Amino acid sequence: MSSRIHRIVPYLFVLPPLILLAVFVYGPAFENVIFSLHSWSSINPDWEFVGLRNYRQLFANPVFWVSLSNNTLYAVISVIVQVFVALGIAAVLSAGIFRPRLNTFFRTSVFLPAILPVTVVGLLWQLIYQPSIGLIDQFLFSTGLGNLSRVWLGEEQTAIYAIILVSQWQWTGYMVALFMVAIAAIPTDLYEALEMEGATRIQQFRYVTLPGVRESTLIFTVITIFGAFKVFDIVWVMTAGGPNRASEVLGTHMYRSAFRDDVVGYSSAVATVIFVITICVGIVQLMLQRDE
Amino acid sequence: MAQAMAHRVQRSRRRAIVNHGGLLLLFWILTAISIYPLIWLVLSSLKTSSEMFGNSWAFPEVWQWDNYVQAWNAGISRYLLSSVIVTLISTLLVVYLSAAAAYALVVLRFRGKAAIYALILGGLILPPEVALFPLFQTLTWLGIYNTYWALIIPYTAFGIPFATFLIRAYMVKIPIELSEAAAMDGAGPLWSFRNIYLPLCRPVLASAALIQSMRSWNEFIFALSFVESENVKTITIGMMSFANALRSDWSVLMAGLVISIIPVLLVFIVLQRQFIGGLTQGAVK
Repeated sequence: MSSRIHRIVPYLFVLPPLILLAVFVYGPAFENVIFSLHSWSSINPDWEFVGLRNYRQLFANPVFWVSLSNNTLYAVISVIVQVFVALGIAAVLSAGIFRPRLNTFFRTSVFLPAILPVTVVGLLWQLIYQPSIGLIDQFLFSTGLGNLSRVWLGEEQTAIYAIILVSQWQWTGYMVALFMVAIAAIPTDLYEALEMEGATRIQQFRYVTLPGVRESTLIFTVITIFGAFKVFDIVWVMTAGGPNRASEVLGTHMYRSAFRDDVVGYSSAVATVIFVITICVGIVQLMLQRDE
Repeated sequence: MAQAMAHRVQRSRRRAIVNHGGLLLLFWILTAISIYPLIWLVLSSLKTSSEMFGNSWAFPEVWQWDNYVQAWNAGISRYLLSSVIVTLISTLLVVYLSAAAAYALVVLRFRGKAAIYALILGGLILPPEVALFPLFQTLTWLGIYNTYWALIIPYTAFGIPFATFLIRAYMVKIPIELSEAAAMDGAGPLWSFRNIYLPLCRPVLASAALIQSMRSWNEFIFALSFVESENVKTITIGMMSFANALRSDWSVLMAGLVISIIPVLLVFIVLQRQFIGGLTQGAVK
């Protein structure tokens, strides 16, 4: 009898997470796919199976394509800044070029935005982008560049860029910290060997740092792309997809469809598209992590 | 070839000296971009609204501490309290449940272990957005919509995969002989989990707790969708209502923003090394 108890005990340790995941993570994700094949709204609460109609509507909707291209833009810019620029910053901070205290100060300062809630960041930057009285316009006017001034968040051409910029402001320092951990894991004797041969810091970066962080770079790139395709919060706070839906991303498009426009089936189809994109990205990530 | 290399080394060393000053300037600019918006926020929160529009670069003429009183009275304390409750409970749950699961996955022997670990890790791939509407229905059906539990439970469920991954990676390095010796002396798995593994894992538990508290504290889309009463709203969503109510009164709004970041900012300033170290755990092996 006691051996039977012993056999059950291990499962008791893993049961609570499994139940939670089944009910609140996997279950809803699965239901979402089912929802996407139905038509449903709170006004007309009868379920109706419509097959792929929601998806056809989706692919015919220009807002969907605007959203998808905004996500892609988000991903491209984020990879450039949060992976490549961040790697450069991390390499400099790791190389001990500045005095240690100054070094720590730089690292802490660029990291700081990462700890702020997205609502605070969004509202703060709304004020910064405010025409004529915001920080940006004040800077432009005081440096004689006043004619560059725009309604940054209110114009269709600039809104999404303005949002993406804020996201870079918030997350680049965090990625710098991640890269610094990766660089610190590189054996120092590799650097010492090159240094004895008289190699400069740039050469050390080229021949030791870059190969040393190759795998981390791949993983960080994947994480960044993952984040760019499921972004919702910063866009919702800053423009809610406006003006004229020009800064809509898949996340806001999905949210608005479900909770504002009351087309749940359609919204689920958008969610499924996000899911398919991120699952592809996620599988790549898991494969990379396993290789490591 | 060696000569060419030496030549190149020399040339780039000369360039490096010239670049050093430029690099320093570049990093000061980066730092300014990172923190000046926050300084501007704090300064503006201490001005009158008209003074803020007039010259947003200057120090306040009279420090308007009253903005803070007004912001506080507008209900920020309620949002902060909700955030503290939700963050605290979800963090405790995530850390304890994940540590238990990680312990079983590392130390105990049972069938289906690999599959169970894969199931738990798989949760990492699922973005919360994807489950949003069905989850909303589930919570309504369970009768916990618009309560703290509508946030605590999903935060816990979505936090477990990463925490388990993190804690497991640490536990693997603890010699298995420790628990085997305890088992020989007749100690059960629960005893060795509590008395051997939990104490030894304190550093990674701290990291997991820090990461989860930041996630819960800053979480947005669930907090937007699963609660609606002002007295259960967390600070992230509460600030949205707060901002909508105060559109015209900018300096009070900014004082509110400052208040809302003070708790995290204080912890960050006091513990910055542990903070950055903890948040970057698990990203790199």
